[in-house]
Amino acid sequence: MNFDWCSEDHELKKRVLNVFHADALGELERLESGDSAAVRHITRVFVENLGQADYLCIGVGPEGAGQTLHLLAAQEEVAGISRSLFISLEVTARLFGGLVRGFLNGKAVLDIAQSVADGSVVGAVGFTEAATTEQGEERYRISRIGEKLIVSSEKDYVTNAPIADWIAVVLDEDGGKTVCLVRPDQDGVTVGPRMQTLGYHGLAVSSLTLRSTVVPPGYFFGPFDASALTDFLRQTEDVILSVASVGLMRAVIAKSKEYAQSHRRDGKPIFAHQEIRFKLAEMLTLYQSAQLLVFRAGWMIASGSEERRTLLRCAKVFSSEAAEKVSGMALQILCGRGYVSGNLIERAYRDAKYATIAGTTSERARMGIAEDVLTRYG
Amino acid sequence: MDFELTPEQLLFKEQVLKFAKKEIAPRVQEHDLREQFDWESWKKLGEFGILGLHFPEELGGSGADVMTSVLAAEALGEAGVDGGLTLSYGAHTYLCADTIFRHGSDEQIHTYIPKLASGEWVGCMGLTEPGAGSDVASMRTRAVRSGDHWVLNGSKMFITNGAIADVAVIYAKTDPSSGHAGISAFIVEKGTPGFSVSRSLHKMGVRTSPTSELVFEDCQISYQNLLGIEGNGFMMAMQTVEWDRSALLAPFLGAVSFLLARCSRYAKQREQFGRPIAYFQAVKHKLADMKIFLEAARSLVYRIAWCKDQGRPLNHLEAAVAKLFIGDWSLSPTNDAVVLMGGYGYCQEYDVERVFRDSRLAPIGGGTSDVQKVLISRLM
Repeated sequence: MNFDWCSEDHELKKRVLNVFHADALGELERLESGDSAAVRHITRVFVENLGQADYLCIGVGPEGAGQTLHLLAAQEEVAGISRSLFISLEVTARLFGGLVRGFLNGKAVLDIAQSVADGSVVGAVGFTEAATTEQGEERYRISRIGEKLIVSSEKDYVTNAPIADWIAVVLDEDGGKTVCLVRPDQDGVTVGPRMQTLGYHGLAVSSLTLRSTVVPPGYFFGPFDASALTDFLRQTEDVILSVASVGLMRAVIAKSKEYAQSHRRDGKPIFAHQEIRFKLAEMLTLYQSAQLLVFRAGWMIASGSEERRTLLRCAKVFSSEAAEKVSGMALQILCGRGYVSGNLIERAYRDAKYATIAGTTSERARMGIAEDVLTRYG
Repeated sequence: MDFELTPEQLLFKEQVLKFAKKEIAPRVQEHDLREQFDWESWKKLGEFGILGLHFPEELGGSGADVMTSVLAAEALGEAGVDGGLTLSYGAHTYLCADTIFRHGSDEQIHTYIPKLASGEWVGCMGLTEPGAGSDVASMRTRAVRSGDHWVLNGSKMFITNGAIADVAVIYAKTDPSSGHAGISAFIVEKGTPGFSVSRSLHKMGVRTSPTSELVFEDCQISYQNLLGIEGNGFMMAMQTVEWDRSALLAPFLGAVSFLLARCSRYAKQREQFGRPIAYFQAVKHKLADMKIFLEAARSLVYRIAWCKDQGRPLNHLEAAVAKLFIGDWSLSPTNDAVVLMGGYGYCQEYDVERVFRDSRLAPIGGGTSDVQKVLISRLM
């Protein structure tokens, strides 16, 4: 047992933090209020710089699972600085990059994987099906003609789609999962308008429609065993969202404490009042508990422990719900100051919800945890 | 970072679990209902080596590391050993014996530790007073030097093992004008003239652990019964916090594992509306929340133990976080367990109501949750 980070972990964190110098942080301020062009530009700058810092090539794909824990300290730093950027980076590197490197092969794929690692492309993964309708069969069709794949499909909530260079689309085929790689500007590919969302305003999310899209050989793979691919995507998403929640709490606590120490009431800083400092104590307790649980889940993933799925679900539920509580308490501390749009706390309050409903929702995660409990303890 | 326990640690935890399930757990309900200390189980804990686990072999211990001690305490809770017995064990081994071991003279160590490690003697610690809890400096018990003796006057409140202890580590003011620096620790044996147990306290939970008020009326002890250096008492008491936030919190972790096992089995067997209640989402969510709490709490406790094993000074912030989390957040899963088992949960047959009652001590004993919040906000 060892609760200390090793020198390599510290070194990675340091390299990553070097990317976020004062000018870069100034640029990031525009991310949350920027249009798609601004989001694309800012995200690309950071993708490129973090690629050069060797941040995007670590822990990629199922084979990179062993590095999950190694990454966490640096990931928490990034999430603490900008959650929108963090999600965008992780979707590119660990979700899209992991899917490409872990499940696909061939020269074109290797080139794309290398571009992800270098930080020269932004990737997205179309996974969630759009709501089905009576015309479902027309909208969802996959056929193989010669060596090509012809696809019609609709995906919702595709993170990075409006700014992506490549999108991996996960399709159902013969009881398994087929993955095809498409470009947003390719014939038959339509990236929907950027969605207006409750939180994560610096993240570009949209729907994706494929209409008789022709995918050439070398750009589609499968069908794969559905559970292996789905497990990988869910696990990766859940790690990302757990770390985002921990990073959120860290940023929120720092801001709340700073405010509580500088804002005065009744002739003394509000931090001196128990109603404020007790909230901060609870916030820190939730943060540290969530952080350690996420680290332990990361260790279990890295070590291939049998319990890793359950521990990650525990970590995801706990950290995301703790982030909601912590941002709510922070808003209570900052009151009107925190309620003003664009404020870090107001933003965090809106962002926090995302992690409870994205990836494995809290409800589904609890069901999974309970199944394991009933088997293990019952 | 690495969360792996050694094979030896895991094996020992399994052994404790097996031992406690077989030898102690079957006796718990009877003693809890009678509010009676279980001497037979105490003897067995001593024979198994639990009571002196971390002391050197030459003093009757096993030289175990802190992590192993924590795992043993967790295993007791997991086996279904009640919070009363684990509290008695904690007060005996860590608050009393360990303080003598750390700060005592060679003679004191060799006189008391072997007897305490074996369980032949029971130990207790007296710090809290009727009017002084977390505000330790306000204690009123006085120790005055008189020739070759110290004379103690005052009283101690909520003393675990007080009524059954053969030896007590008692904190008293030797210099009332010096605040914390005026507190010293003394060893007082049962039967010392002027030392008495005034009353036993009846409690909501941890009932098998006798809790008493101790009274000192011109209690005369040898000057050699001073423990460590005069004026270092507060520091000694604070050093027990490391154990309090690790080995004494560990049984709460184990208790939640115990609840998970009880509730899982019940949920699979109990049928309502034609199917086991484990089928229902509301029941599953309760089980999930218990598990989430357990895993979150576990890392916090293990961190304290690991740091102590590394010889690091206690990180009071991390210790307070662990105490606050287990204290306040354990209320919900223990309540869930009672609700999940409905009427059976409310009755004593299934033990979950006992765990519910026992767990109420977590946000109170060893520094209330409010005091932890004061500490955290001061240190953050």
